[in-house]
Amino acid sequence: MRFIRKTGYQDDIALFRHNGQRFWYGLLLLVLVLAPFGLDRFFLGEFALVFIYAIAGIGLMLLVGYTGLVSLGHAAFLAIGAYAQAYLLASGWSFPVAILAATALTAAVGAVVALPAMRMTGIYLAVATLAFAVIVEHILIGWVSVTGGFRGMLVPQARWLGVDLGGALAFYWLCLGFLLVTLLLALNLLRSPSGRAMVAVRDSETSAESMGIHLARTKTIAFALSAGFTGLAGALFAHKIGYLAPDAFTFLISIQLLLMVVVGGLGSLHGAIFGAVFIGLLPQGLAVMRDTLPPAIGQLPGLEPGIFGLILVLFLIYEPQGIYGRWCKIKSYFEAFPLYRRATHKRQKRYLRTERLQ
Amino acid sequence: MSLLAAERIAVSFGGVQAVQNLSFAVEQGEVFSIVGPNGAGKTTIFNLISRIYDVDDGRLLLDGEDITRVPRHAVAERGVARTFQNTELFEQESVLKNLLIGCHVHRATSLLSDLLFLPRVRRQELAFRRTAEQVIDLLDLQRYRDQTIANLPYGIRKMVEVARALCLKPRLLLLDEPSSGLNPEETEDLAFWLEDINEELGITVIMVEHDMNLVSRASDRVMALADGALLTIGSPDEVQRHPEVLRAYLGD
Repeated sequence: MRFIRKTGYQDDIALFRHNGQRFWYGLLLLVLVLAPFGLDRFFLGEFALVFIYAIAGIGLMLLVGYTGLVSLGHAAFLAIGAYAQAYLLASGWSFPVAILAATALTAAVGAVVALPAMRMTGIYLAVATLAFAVIVEHILIGWVSVTGGFRGMLVPQARWLGVDLGGALAFYWLCLGFLLVTLLLALNLLRSPSGRAMVAVRDSETSAESMGIHLARTKTIAFALSAGFTGLAGALFAHKIGYLAPDAFTFLISIQLLLMVVVGGLGSLHGAIFGAVFIGLLPQGLAVMRDTLPPAIGQLPGLEPGIFGLILVLFLIYEPQGIYGRWCKIKSYFEAFPLYRRATHKRQKRYLRTERLQ
Repeated sequence: MSLLAAERIAVSFGGVQAVQNLSFAVEQGEVFSIVGPNGAGKTTIFNLISRIYDVDDGRLLLDGEDITRVPRHAVAERGVARTFQNTELFEQESVLKNLLIGCHVHRATSLLSDLLFLPRVRRQELAFRRTAEQVIDLLDLQRYRDQTIANLPYGIRKMVEVARALCLKPRLLLLDEPSSGLNPEETEDLAFWLEDINEELGITVIMVEHDMNLVSRASDRVMALADGALLTIGSPDEVQRHPEVLRAYLGD
C-alpha cells in the first residue's frame, strides 16, 4: 500500500500524484510512441482508430460523465467535423488550419444545440439530441453541393509542408498527438473552476446556482467543448476512412459512442480511454476468436454483434461503474492485500436523498 | 441601511398564500432567526431571497439594491450564501471539492485560461485551497477532507454545507434548519460556531430553526411566522412569551 506524503497544496493540483504514476504513464507513452517500429501496419491502423474513438470519448465524457447531460446525437458532431475537414481541405486550406477550423465549427454548432438543450435534462435531452442527429443526417444527404449527397465525397490527402500525414506511421503519431493534447486540455479543465462548475451542475443544479454558477453558460460550455472534441475526432476519422458518405454517421455510431463512455466508466477520463480500447479492439478480437473456434460455433451468423451485446449487458448489470470501476477495485485489492475487506466496494442503499426543489 | 430588507413581499402557489404581505429588515452583523410551525413559509422566504421562486408582489433589497429580479446565480455574487433544509451537496465529490466549488464566485479566470491551466489559474487554485482550508480548520472538518459526501453521516453533511457556504465569504448567510439531524453535542458545537461565524468573521446570519434553545442562545432577534404572515419580531424572550406565538404553536 502506498502512502503519499504531501508537502503542499501544489501536490493536489499536480497531474501526477506520485512518482509511480509518472513512471508508469511515461512508460506507456514511450511504448505507444515507439510501437509503430515493432507493429504490423494493420494494427497501427486499428490503434489509430482507438485514439480517434478516445478523443470523441473524452468529448462525450465531459458532457455525459461530468455535466450529467446525455447525448444520443454525437454522430452528428463527428459528421460535421469530418465533412468540414474534407470540404476545407478540398477548398485548398492547409491541414492544420482546416483541422482547427473544423474543430471550432463543430464547437460552435454544439453551442447552438445547447440553446434549446438547456431547458431539458435526462431522457428528454437524449431524444432532442437524437432529433438533431437525424436532422444533420438529412442535411448531409440533401446539401449535395457541399457534401456530395448520397454519392459522398472523397477526403483529400492529409499532407502539410510536403509531408504525407496519411501514411500508416504518420497518421498513427498524428492521432496519438491529438489524443494527448485533448487529454491534457480535459485534465486542465477538470482541475479548474470551469470543470468544477460542470460537476456541480451534474450533482445539484439548485445548489450550483446558489453557489453563483451560471447554469446556462456552464451547460453551453460543456456542449461546445464536447462537440469540439468530437469534431476533432471526426476530422481525423475522415482521413481514416478516406471517403465520406452519410451512412458512415448513422444513429448506431451515436449509440456506440455513448456505450463507450458507459462501459468505460462514467465520470472518469480513464473510462473514456478504456471504453475506446474496448469498442475499438473488440470487433478484431472477436474476428480472431472466430477463426479458432470449431466451425459449428465460429461460423454462426451474427456471432460478433451477439457477443458484443452480451458483454455490454453483463457490464451494465454487474459493473455499472464500467471497466475503470473494475480496474480500481482490482487495484485496491492488491494494494490492501492480504487485508482486503470483501465489502469495501459493496453498493449501499443511500437514504436521505433530498427532494429536489423546483 | 439594513443589510436585507423585505418590503411587503408576497408569493402564492395556486390557492396557498405561502408568504403574505411580509416586511422585515435584517441589520448588519446580527443573527436573525425565523421561527414558526410547519408550513409557515420560513423556507419559502429563503427561496425568495435566493431567487428560486419569484415574488408575486413587493421588493427585496440587499444593502439598498433591489434583488427581486436578478438572475439566480447573481445572488451569490452579491455575497449571499445559503444552506438547504435537507442538504444539497455535490454527492459524488469529496468534501474538499465541494468547498472549492463554494469558492466559485471569486473566480477571475476565463475558460481559455482554465483549459491551458495558465499560471494565474494555478495561483487562483492555491488561493481557493487556502480559503477552503481556513474553513475546514474553523469547522473541524480535517478528517473528512478527502471523503466522498455520499459516504458521510448526515450531521457531518450539514456542517460541510455550512462550510461550503462560508467559502463564498458571504456578507449574509442563510441557514435552513442547521440543527436538524444533529445530536445534542453537535448542536452545542453548532451554537459555538454560529458565534464564531457571526462575531469573528462578521457575517450576518438569518436562520430558520425549530430548536428554541439554540434560537434563544444564538439570535439577536427572532421573527415568528404563521401561515405566511408575520406574528411578531423581537428579542427571543419577547417572542417566546408573545400570546400570538403561543397560540400558533399550541392552539387556543
